Amino acid sequence: MTGAAWAVKRLARQPLRTGLSLAGIAVAAAMLLDMVMLSGGIDRSFSDLLLGRGYQMRLTPKGTLPFDTEATIRGASAIVAALRREPALEAAGAVLGTSLYARRGDSLITLFAYGLQPEAQSLYQLQAGRDLASGAGAGVLLSEPAARLLGAGIGDTLTLVGRLDPQVVTAAAGRRLVVRGMVRWLYDYRGQPSVGMVLSDLQRLSSSPAEDRASMIVVKARQDSAVPGLVTALRRRFPSVEVSSVADLVATFHERLVYFRQLSYILGSMSLIVTVLLIATLLTIAVGERLGEIATLRAIGVSRRTVVGQVLAEGTALTIVGGGLGIGLGLATARYLDAILTSFPGLPAAFSFFVPRAGALAFAALVLLLTGSLAGLYPAWLAARTPIAATLRAEAT
Amino acid sequence: MTPTLIARDLRKDYPMNGETVHALRGVSLRVDSGDYAAIVGPSGSGKSTLLQLLGGIDTPTAGAVELSGTRLDALSDRELTRLRLTRLGFVFQRFHLLPVLTARENVELPMAEAGVRGPERRVRARELLDYVGLAQRENHRATQLSGGEMQRVAIARALANRPAVVLADEPTGELDAATGREILDLFLRLNRDGTTLVVVTHDDRLAAEAGRVIHMLDGAIRD
Repeated sequence: MTGAAWAVKRLARQPLRTGLSLAGIAVAAAMLLDMVMLSGGIDRSFSDLLLGRGYQMRLTPKGTLPFDTEATIRGASAIVAALRREPALEAAGAVLGTSLYARRGDSLITLFAYGLQPEAQSLYQLQAGRDLASGAGAGVLLSEPAARLLGAGIGDTLTLVGRLDPQVVTAAAGRRLVVRGMVRWLYDYRGQPSVGMVLSDLQRLSSSPAEDRASMIVVKARQDSAVPGLVTALRRRFPSVEVSSVADLVATFHERLVYFRQLSYILGSMSLIVTVLLIATLLTIAVGERLGEIATLRAIGVSRRTVVGQVLAEGTALTIVGGGLGIGLGLATARYLDAILTSFPGLPAAFSFFVPRAGALAFAALVLLLTGSLAGLYPAWLAARTPIAATLRAEAT
Repeated sequence: MTPTLIARDLRKDYPMNGETVHALRGVSLRVDSGDYAAIVGPSGSGKSTLLQLLGGIDTPTAGAVELSGTRLDALSDRELTRLRLTRLGFVFQRFHLLPVLTARENVELPMAEAGVRGPERRVRARELLDYVGLAQRENHRATQLSGGEMQRVAIARALANRPAVVLADEPTGELDAATGREILDLFLRLNRDGTTLVVVTHDDRLAAEAGRVIHMLDGAIRD
């Protein structure tokens, strides 16, 4: 019989106690897993989101982050043209984001509109219908919430208006556009009604005369390894705008969320401590109850090493089974918490706080296994130093 | 006869409530190979303490124990543990089988600790269980056995590594008269087959059947 099988048999002898301990370890392990996923998941998710369409750089108004303010870059087309002439760059495109209104009967519905250059778009994934094409004006793309709100589908014609005068609720500019396709906007928050059209259409709707401005310019390098050098070069070349790589944006985001990460470290550490205490308590009680048995084993010649190994094997078995249950529980909890957190206004729906990564799972499992096994050290030490003769005498009376 | 076990002027003192209890006051004895010795005496006379010293479970305050020429006090804790495993067999009043293991696994335990390979120890365990009349109960857990059966498994376990001496502490103390009789018969058979036995007992029948009786009183042998 192996030490592990023996350990499992011993644990099975006290099913209620073992079951309750396993439940406690599973909860603590789930919390540890969630905290490990949370601590690195936010950065990873943010990075994945920004690189969703392969654009590694962003040009934004000086001192701002993408869509952080309503500030815009003036002379956007000249900057884009200059960027497209750079041999190291594969693509560049301007994006304008602003509010628009759709006329439906007598009422106006507020929408968020993206103006973009179809040949270099970084904001959506086409789900149905046709994409926008360069030069093919009069088309519009809808998100699912926008389509639902407007009661519109592919082929329908929408009347969109801009520059609303809030005092008189009249629109200064309007345009009829045909719905070409349904898309999922990468950075929309849950339920956000967004529409997309060619940049020049939105520029005409949002200002008169149309202004050559953009909220952001996205840039794709031919090689990822060239990005740091290109960022430096673009900063020198366009000093009036902010040039950021995805790595820069992730670093900024990382700094902004430092408290979130500290919280995850603290909660993760607490869950580890709870696991250690649970296992140590259970094994200490079990060793206390089995002193006679341990003294007998020692008397018949079983070594201290074997006795210690048995106690540690029980701790390890508890950790493995409890940790295994904890992984399932942790993933389910993360999914539930993610749904709550990403429903906060202003957060992209595609963003995820808890990202299950193989590395994170392996790290959490390793740390749990190590600490769970180490939790058996004190009870194992108690078992190893059980006085044989005195214990047997006490057992006999 | 070859002396298997020799005790020389064994003394054992315990501190108790600020005073010193003299459990053994200079006990000397010799057990030869093939002996069947019964140690008898009233409670508190030092019988079990003597057995524990003879078995290397406890250390004497003074004096020495030799097993087949090896002085136990010269051994490290690890060596002494190994000696208990391979050269001594123990039978306890309360059997002390591991409840989570089957009868066969309990008998295999000392052999596994001694490094005997699986197939070999399974064969030996079955032989021993057959010897003590429990071949048909090998896969029963200790908790599924009667008191007499548990004690027979404990005897098989004590014999597992072919010890030089089997030390038994009140082996019939927890058993009814009929079951105790079966254990006594088993001890007689063991001794006839060559096993050296030292048994601490209150059981007059056991003492009467032993080849030699050692009487103890107040921590000393009174012959």
